[in-house]
Amino acid sequence: MTAASRERPSEQIDRLERELGRSQERLGPTVGSLVLHGALAGGLVLYGMIGGFFHHNTWGGAASGGAIEVKLVSSALPLPADHPPNENVLATETPSEAPAQPTPKEEKAVDETAIPISGKVEKPKPETTQPKTQQHQQPVEDNRAHYGEQQAASMARSTQAQNATNGPVSIANGDFGSRYPWYVAAINRMVSQNWYRAEVDQHTAKGSKATVYFRINRQGVPSDFKIFTSSGNSTLDRSGLRAAERVDSFGPLPSDSNLQYLDVTYDFTY
Amino acid sequence: MKRALQHLFPVLLVVLALSSKPALAQDWVHTGTNLGNDRIRIAAADFNSGVVPGARSSAPGSVNPETPALKAVFDATLYSDLSNAGIFDVVSKSMIPAVSPGSPQEINLAQWSAAPSSAAMVAFGALSVAGDKLTVSGWLFDTRNTSSPQVLARQYSDAVSQEAARLTAHKFADEIISTLGGGINGIAETKIYFVSSRGGSKEIWAMDYDGQNQHAVTHLGAISLSPRISPDNSRLAFASLGKEGWSIRMYSLDLGRQVSFPAGTVGGSNLSPAWSGDGLKLAFSSSRSGDPEIWVADVSGSSPHKLTSFRGPDVSPVWNPKTNAQIAWVSGRTGLPQIYTMDQDGANVSRLTDGGYAISPSWSPNGQFLAFSWNRKYGPGDPGGQDIYVMDIASKRWLQLTHEAGSNDFPSWAPDGRHIVFERTVGGHAEIWSMLADGTEQHQLTKSGNNTMPNWSWK
Repeated sequence: MTAASRERPSEQIDRLERELGRSQERLGPTVGSLVLHGALAGGLVLYGMIGGFFHHNTWGGAASGGAIEVKLVSSALPLPADHPPNENVLATETPSEAPAQPTPKEEKAVDETAIPISGKVEKPKPETTQPKTQQHQQPVEDNRAHYGEQQAASMARSTQAQNATNGPVSIANGDFGSRYPWYVAAINRMVSQNWYRAEVDQHTAKGSKATVYFRINRQGVPSDFKIFTSSGNSTLDRSGLRAAERVDSFGPLPSDSNLQYLDVTYDFTY
Repeated sequence: MKRALQHLFPVLLVVLALSSKPALAQDWVHTGTNLGNDRIRIAAADFNSGVVPGARSSAPGSVNPETPALKAVFDATLYSDLSNAGIFDVVSKSMIPAVSPGSPQEINLAQWSAAPSSAAMVAFGALSVAGDKLTVSGWLFDTRNTSSPQVLARQYSDAVSQEAARLTAHKFADEIISTLGGGINGIAETKIYFVSSRGGSKEIWAMDYDGQNQHAVTHLGAISLSPRISPDNSRLAFASLGKEGWSIRMYSLDLGRQVSFPAGTVGGSNLSPAWSGDGLKLAFSSSRSGDPEIWVADVSGSSPHKLTSFRGPDVSPVWNPKTNAQIAWVSGRTGLPQIYTMDQDGANVSRLTDGGYAISPSWSPNGQFLAFSWNRKYGPGDPGGQDIYVMDIASKRWLQLTHEAGSNDFPSWAPDGRHIVFERTVGGHAEIWSMLADGTEQHQLTKSGNNTMPNWSWK
């Protein structure tokens, strides 16, 4: 028999009432805490919403700010572009898929743990010696991927010199391009790297050509930039002039060429 | 009448002399866009050292026993220099003909221009050791130009050592790169200075551009940061922690000791020195007047003067190396650090980055680009990466070079404008990396200890 069960009912009710009253007393701080936390959370939300209307400094924010979300003309770096434009109309942009690898033949499993039977002679397999007859030739399947095939788009680095030296007047020039094709290739590379097509008006007809003239001195420094043949479009002409002017030096002229100057005409084809 | 003729005679003489003067030699070429702008396919032949591989030397003493080792170093260095140049498509060693022509008479150009090597250019030559001299003759031939194939012919002579063989290969590679690359010098002979803690304290170290030959430069036993080599490779400026706090120190590589730089030790924290392109001035940040501001002093350490006066820190100046008329730096006036440029007298301030956390600018040698480290989405909830970016200053267009690989900082341009060296921290471990300026060909240069703040020499 426990002590509680020995109590009289009236005493039990008394005690229950007292305990209930005490629990109501304890409810007060809980509600207060809930209200406080709710107010804090609400305040935070309100601050975020109101602050959103008034904040003026988005630096560092998640929003992409400013007006310079553009890609760099990376050709301006003195590195060759990886993919020169392909002028070949026969080349396809979407090569056929490479044929799937043939599944490797499964090798016959050899039981390595098998104990060899001593004295067992492997029976030699009978060689099949069938009479060779003219078999029907199966057409061989071309197992290659078909790309748009073309020669690598590289400048002809070799041309035969055409020296007209059999006249009474001997002019020993006109062969720079054949003797030093690598220098011409370097001129070509440096100028085209510095040509920004974005400077040209977008409405320029495709295929318009501006030819720019400049003179390279012995140290490789270009000067005397001129429009040699105008394209009829001033933006294309000007972009070509600027491209040539951006080059500081092409490197000294080949020392054995004995040239004082090299005159260059350069086509800019839009 | 006679008198008049007498007067005219000298004039006629001059006219005659002028007209008989040979006309200036000149020539004309015509080229243009859309003619192909691909990488030059170049082959580096194994140099001929007079030793047949595998065969025993019949006459001992005729060939120095060190020759094979030197040849191996030379061949490997030349090959990697050409591969690293960024403008060549180097033919793999397994595809080149198994011959080593030692002179123009021995080379069969058709062999090199044919598949599988298909080389447009071939570098070859001979390497020999006579007494205490290493002699290297190198040629560069255009394989498709049968009439006049020679592009370059060079001869080098140096001491018999692996360092000398490597240096000779660097020199020859630089000649090839400069000749074929349109006058932009190669970087094979350049150095990279950096901070390394592998010896215990943070000291300034140096290495070749390809990570070879790493050695300590300073032995101060203190913390040294941000090394900057002078344009003539004679002096090294850096920040060091001493009893007066952070100060700018100057180390002479010619003398092998510290030299005085009084402007850099006047109170406050003095950090991040930067040489002007002419080597006459030094910009740095100093907090002697309160906030860290940009100061400029002569190289001798005299006449320091302040360029910026803004609330918030101003640090990490860098000069436009082409004009020496502009300075880019990092300012925290709007909160997070951003990149700004100004004229060298402090005028014309303009802001380049539009947000995020942008630090460590480095100006490209042609003056056109800034490379810097940028966290475009900085802050809690914006997990952006610290990456290297390049910005075209005139148009403010930019290009991201590193992607999703560690935290990247402290970019520094190579003098050819094609390469960038930077620091990459992965898992709390900082190492030096290099890459082409379009973000490709990333190579790790250092492997041991913590290595930070690389600076590429000017030549």
